[in-house]
Amino acid sequence: MSESTGVAERHICVIGLGNVLLGDDGFGPLVVERFRCEYADHADVEVLDLGTPGLDLAPYLHGKHLAVIVDTVKSEGEPGTLCHLGETDFGDRRAALHLTGHDPGLAQCLAQLRLAGRAPSKVIVVGVVPQSCALGSSFSAPVFAAVSTAVEKIASLLREHDVPCQRRAVQKPPNLWWETVLRTGMPT
Amino acid sequence: MARISIDPVTRIEGHLRIDVEVDGGAVQKAWACCTMWRGIETILRGRDPREGWVFAQRFCGVCTTVHAMASVRAVEDALQLEIPANAQYIRNLILIAHALHDHIVHFYHLSALDWVDITTIPKADPARAASIADGVSSWPGNSHHELEAVQNKVKGLIASGQLGIFSHGYWGHPAMRLSPEMNLILFAHYLQALEFQRKACQVVGILGGKTPHIQNLAVGGVMNAINLNSLATMNMDRLGTLQSLLQELIPFVQQAYFVDACLLAASYPEWFRYGRGVANYLSVPDLPVDAKATKFDLPGGVIMEGNLGSVRPIKDWRDEPIRAAVAEDITHAWYQGQGALPPWKGKTDPYYTDFRDEGKYTWVKAPRYNGHPMQVGPLSNILVGYSSGHPLTRKWADAAFKRISSVHGLNVTPEDLQSTMGRYLARAIRSAMLSELALQHLQLLSSNILKGDDTTYNPPQFPAHEVEGVGLHEAPRGTLSHWVVIDKAAFSNYQAVVPTTWNASPRDQKGVSGPYESSLLANPVADPEKPLEVLRTVHSFDPCMACACHTLDVSGREIAQTKVL
Repeated sequence: MSESTGVAERHICVIGLGNVLLGDDGFGPLVVERFRCEYADHADVEVLDLGTPGLDLAPYLHGKHLAVIVDTVKSEGEPGTLCHLGETDFGDRRAALHLTGHDPGLAQCLAQLRLAGRAPSKVIVVGVVPQSCALGSSFSAPVFAAVSTAVEKIASLLREHDVPCQRRAVQKPPNLWWETVLRTGMPT
Repeated sequence: MARISIDPVTRIEGHLRIDVEVDGGAVQKAWACCTMWRGIETILRGRDPREGWVFAQRFCGVCTTVHAMASVRAVEDALQLEIPANAQYIRNLILIAHALHDHIVHFYHLSALDWVDITTIPKADPARAASIADGVSSWPGNSHHELEAVQNKVKGLIASGQLGIFSHGYWGHPAMRLSPEMNLILFAHYLQALEFQRKACQVVGILGGKTPHIQNLAVGGVMNAINLNSLATMNMDRLGTLQSLLQELIPFVQQAYFVDACLLAASYPEWFRYGRGVANYLSVPDLPVDAKATKFDLPGGVIMEGNLGSVRPIKDWRDEPIRAAVAEDITHAWYQGQGALPPWKGKTDPYYTDFRDEGKYTWVKAPRYNGHPMQVGPLSNILVGYSSGHPLTRKWADAAFKRISSVHGLNVTPEDLQSTMGRYLARAIRSAMLSELALQHLQLLSSNILKGDDTTYNPPQFPAHEVEGVGLHEAPRGTLSHWVVIDKAAFSNYQAVVPTTWNASPRDQKGVSGPYESSLLANPVADPEKPLEVLRTVHSFDPCMACACHTLDVSGREIAQTKVL
């Protein structure tokens, strides 16, 4: 089934996943927003904060050539440790018995899209090991310290795939609207 | 007596756990437990009501839009602020597209595999499958060629020995009864649905500025600029794109999804006998067609004790009885205290104990309507609409009944819809209705703009005294309400009573169960090790535990457990 509506399609996506109201879980959205503000726009690259979409991630990965996903990961290592995962690292291992719409995630979306012949040719996850994902808390120091490195990591991954990632002459101010929660903390 | 606990351990914590006691091949007792606290309402206290919706749409990762909408409606209700007609239509189009997306994903990607056994697909005859499908639908995606291609993909998947995400299925279970050809047709549509749910997302994206978290809302209307002579705003070009997207989406809903739901219903007639549960139904009106929101395209009402002959209509959002009737009981939920409070006086003070069968056992509060549990969702929409003689509801419900009876020889009545299968069928009927309304609301928007009305926003004024408001929305999973108290231009209380709270409600102080729990009673369970039948009934509600902490698990540990205790 072909595109016939004239909605422009871009072939590369940079996606931040996580809940911005849950401390370190907001790492993905923060990193992609910083990337959007520090690096110049590119006609073929879509930069998206998708929150916690579950199976609704599929439409955003559909038909892409390359997907770079920034997320928190449950993995070995100290909080703030960055890792770089390919599809085989999280691919088909999960036997998922799901009860609710939130349970299926990235692996499920990719498997579906692969069967439909519309999976991204390449998926790379830039992950960080979180310290705390408590409601309304701020980023932990080690995770916050990893943000700049993760932004640079996105740029270098894109360059490896022939996208000329150029820093903006003047950075845009990042729109971190949820920071008001983090600044003022939890109301009592 | 066997006790089964189904507890998906997902991400950092799980969301929904179902415990059932099974005896004589059927469920005798059931508990629905939400294993995660949603304390996000506490974040909203003290904040500017104009920005509440931005936070509210992060309540949940999947139903973002609906919380944003309920939040602005709640503040507008408190301020008695009317919004422009254009804003109503733009919001309605977003809500329709979101709901269609949600229902398509529920049917195909979240629940079809409870009924469709993909491991039989290699045995199907694609030519015969194409002729069966052609006999019931004019959908172009049913060709012999297309079905054969899907069959080859499935063969390849099975031959690889790596079923991946499909490895959890209860393949070969005695309760799986579709022919290989039917399984092939439904699975082909499962794959095609990936394409069409995107079109629904694109509609939301064009109107909302961004999806999944829309950016165009404001207390008082929407921020979409309308100017037919400007390239950067809502213009004829943009309206034309919306129309093309909808025209591609609608045939999938009406010729694939609606037909498939009828096919499934006819193939599993016994599922009209299970899963009735709470027979009190609540539905609120939605899709207002005028600025003042006095007329609606989707009706609201209340039905008690399964008495389909008697509906108390809810005519509009100012309905007084609903404001007085709703209270949330915390006797069996992990909050401090006992008994029920109305949402405007609601408290969210956590008090965790272990899972106690007779005590507190979930994070979900028990909403009650004049003290009664209520079922919400597409089934309530259809029963309320059908019983009140709503023409569009009758049109599509009767079309479903006629199709099931003429093609499959099974008589289904509105009475029968009160069941596990009825919830599937009702969702498909609602989707067909929404697909028809989509173009109508686009037409309403275009004609209003062409008349010369380009207003989209009325600025809010906050009074010096305290005001209360409720924002109602009939979301994909059912009645959603946000209850706000505003004092000196800040929220002093914020409570969300969400559809899954109604349906996944625990017992109340009188010991009365909510819809999930009571729908599971007498549900058959052929094999306690593989409680497929329990999943079918739970999935029929489209569970969505508002959450959402989110961490990719790369350690490869098992993420779901079914324990027979």
